[in-house]
Amino acid sequence: MRDPLGEAERLLERLSKKFDEAAVKVSIVDSVMVKASRGSVSVVQSWRDEDADVYIAKGGRIYVASTQLPSVERVIKAAETIVERLQPSKLYAPLPEPSGESCMKVDPQLEKSVEERDYAKLAALLGVDSGLDVSGMTMIYIVREALATSKGARLSRTVSGFEGYVRVFKEREVSGQWSWASTSLDEGLAKTAFEKAEGIAGECVSLPREPLGEGSYRLLFSPMTASQLLEYVASSALAGSVITGSSFLAGSKPGDAVASEALTIVSTPRDQDLPGYATFDDEGVAARDIAFIDGGVFKTLLHNTKTAKVLGGESTGNGGWIFPRLFNLEVKPGDLSEDEVFEALGSGVYITNNWYTRFQNFLEGTFSTVPRDAAFTVKGGRPVACVPGFKIRVEGSLKTMIKGVEALTRERYRIKWWEVETPTKSPYMIVSENGGLRVRRA
Amino acid sequence: MALSWYPEGFDPLDLRQAVEKALELGASYAEARLHIKFGEGLSLLNDNVIGGGPRFSGGVAVRVIVDGSLGFASTSSWDKGSVLDAVERAVKSARSLARLSGKVTMSEERLGRASYEVKVRVKPWDTSFEDKVNFLLEVSKSLEPGKASLDSKLIAYRDDTEYKYLVTSDGGEVESLVPRVEVFYNMAASYEGSRANKWGEVGGSGGFELLDELGLKGRLEEDLQSLEVALTRGEKPPKGVMDVVISPEIVGLALHESIGHPSEADRVLGREAAQAGRSYREYIGGRIGSEVVTVIDDPTVPGSSGFYLYDDEAVPARPRILIDKGLLAELLHNRETAAVMGVRSNAAARASSFRGEPIVRMATTYMAPGDYTFDELVEGIQEGVYLKNYMEWNIDEWRLTARYVGLEAYLIKGGKVERPVRNVVLQIPTQDFYSRIDAVAKDLRFYPGLCGKGEPMQPLPVWMGGPHVRLRGVRVG
Repeated sequence: MRDPLGEAERLLERLSKKFDEAAVKVSIVDSVMVKASRGSVSVVQSWRDEDADVYIAKGGRIYVASTQLPSVERVIKAAETIVERLQPSKLYAPLPEPSGESCMKVDPQLEKSVEERDYAKLAALLGVDSGLDVSGMTMIYIVREALATSKGARLSRTVSGFEGYVRVFKEREVSGQWSWASTSLDEGLAKTAFEKAEGIAGECVSLPREPLGEGSYRLLFSPMTASQLLEYVASSALAGSVITGSSFLAGSKPGDAVASEALTIVSTPRDQDLPGYATFDDEGVAARDIAFIDGGVFKTLLHNTKTAKVLGGESTGNGGWIFPRLFNLEVKPGDLSEDEVFEALGSGVYITNNWYTRFQNFLEGTFSTVPRDAAFTVKGGRPVACVPGFKIRVEGSLKTMIKGVEALTRERYRIKWWEVETPTKSPYMIVSENGGLRVRRA
Repeated sequence: MALSWYPEGFDPLDLRQAVEKALELGASYAEARLHIKFGEGLSLLNDNVIGGGPRFSGGVAVRVIVDGSLGFASTSSWDKGSVLDAVERAVKSARSLARLSGKVTMSEERLGRASYEVKVRVKPWDTSFEDKVNFLLEVSKSLEPGKASLDSKLIAYRDDTEYKYLVTSDGGEVESLVPRVEVFYNMAASYEGSRANKWGEVGGSGGFELLDELGLKGRLEEDLQSLEVALTRGEKPPKGVMDVVISPEIVGLALHESIGHPSEADRVLGREAAQAGRSYREYIGGRIGSEVVTVIDDPTVPGSSGFYLYDDEAVPARPRILIDKGLLAELLHNRETAAVMGVRSNAAARASSFRGEPIVRMATTYMAPGDYTFDELVEGIQEGVYLKNYMEWNIDEWRLTARYVGLEAYLIKGGKVERPVRNVVLQIPTQDFYSRIDAVAKDLRFYPGLCGKGEPMQPLPVWMGGPHVRLRGVRVG
């Protein structure tokens, strides 16, 4: 197998002879995935990816290229002609002195399963032979990547990953879904996800099916839904979103109260539990955990060196060569126990899962989202009726929603799936009527 | 094969040998696909080139059926050793879970043995980077805001030439070259404390000339004008039951979401149940719209983003009628779903890269034009609203109810388009939407989009379009 750092250094050496600044990122990823639908395996997939990304700066002109390692000569050849034809970028800032260190978080058992391509284990974790109407995906992988920059960064990151999601149907319109993500092959996570998915569907079957009236409600979001919505809040904290006119946090200043005191959201590249674990960013800057909303107070945008130069401040270790990016997220826990959430909600609606969140106005954060799987009417501190999620919509504004966060649970779940790209540790979250969210019938 | 765009170090014989090797190892079906995409991209932020460069993605995908189980493997190398290793991985993976698999077979088809390419006037790969930069800078700088302040404009360009060479174990062998050019943009504007966004896309298959032909500059100006109208003159949106005229941009999106996706046979069979969801076509058939509604999905529309002549299973492409005069008609099939349902594939199998299995996808989904003019649609309305474009949209996973929120919209009174209103919400059940269309205009227009589906996600370029249509008596707000 090729050595990512050796490859990155070899390519950097060639580029450094011709250009002011260069960086090379090489990643070699082995992955295995089992996808199941309606109780049987639909496809078994495996990938061996060898990717190379190249960054060059000359006279403030920024050249970025992505390709696979076997084809990297093409993008290097193209660099000389292209870089001269670019304009000096107003985003340009010199590559920083490296401050990150290499990291490794590999579960030997997971690594062995990837090497042996243990498909049977993955299928079993999805509950394909449970006799239930199960769909979902589970995947294991090993990421070996390296970064070499002309400022002297020589950094390696080796991380194993285990992620997936499972959906259980009890009737045509009655389902539950849950997901997991980890750096270890912790089979308990998949087991919990299966139990959660089945439990949600089962609870719905046991309750009367009643339509919801339209209006404002106190809302309980599962970790699946909370992480989906709060990932958009985190994206809005990326300085690139502010610069490109796509953030409702544009205009917020450090110290502004933007959310309820209950809410703290942390960018957590250093979280070794989650597969986005990293100790350095794409510029070689030390990645660090940053509570960008802390007790409801906006603390900082998330920067790389370029956005920090443009907007003022310093890199938060979230680069991205052009714009900053997210690695992992964490929503700080609250005081509630998971067993108390319905009691704390009192009366309201419990949304177990959602998708298709879309914005009418990025700058104001106005959106609607479509619940899926079972949703529940809660009265007197307990679920009293079920409504299939697809029969309702939730609409409002992120800006006001985060002001209405009333309570969070102590228990958190590690979420990543189709609708949550950034691995996130999320609790259950109660949003009061102050959050300004409305439920509409579909 | 005639095109011979093979990359250095690739021997087409290796793909044939890969397929033979899979059969030797026990596969009942095998395919191997060399899949390369190359091009350049650049981003402009507020008239400044913030960065740019090339992309080259290439590798080989192998898919096999062993004992009724489907296995897929890919490699980003195309040397013989790596390809044969992918074959072994695919066979092993399929065999290992045969007991739990759904007994996959492929429908019998007359498969293509062909090569084709989209001819272009200005080859993206021969157009200098400087020319691309200059063209886009000129477009960007030409945008002149009115009363509203244009606070941010992002224009992202990319060209992407896709080369595929496919061999199947049952005789298919297809080579294709399809260049595409596209621009994505997002503008943010403000006026007297009020702020709004408009994003959009322009693109298709063809050469660099497309950006002129598709009117990139005009589209940006039109959308900037939308922001201007919405911010400076847009009034509170109406609420209630009224007639609605919908623009081609929204009609195209509606067809893609509420007709195209639910017509994907893999979705109907539940193969996407944990991802993109299920389909009302599992249990609804027959009439879904009025007689004036006919919807087609056609991969062969010249210049379209989703253009192809053979799909990624070597099946010859043809137009698919999804709604015929208001009646639900064909589903979109690949060979796997066609075999399950006992029909022939209609060539909807596509993969977004060498990392993806071919799955059922749309190409260009559009509504057949009628014979009304826009003015005639409006003339027939006493009280209503015209939705010209949108920002927010979504749909539930069964595709039963969709929501579109207009950015630029106008009240209609006494047969005339009147003052502008902003953020008009149209949330409407699918069957209502298509049943309440009583008139279809003749002004067919297409819009590009990136369709998402699959696990891992396979984003694919498509077109969607339609003419203006009129809906009677729908709830707005």
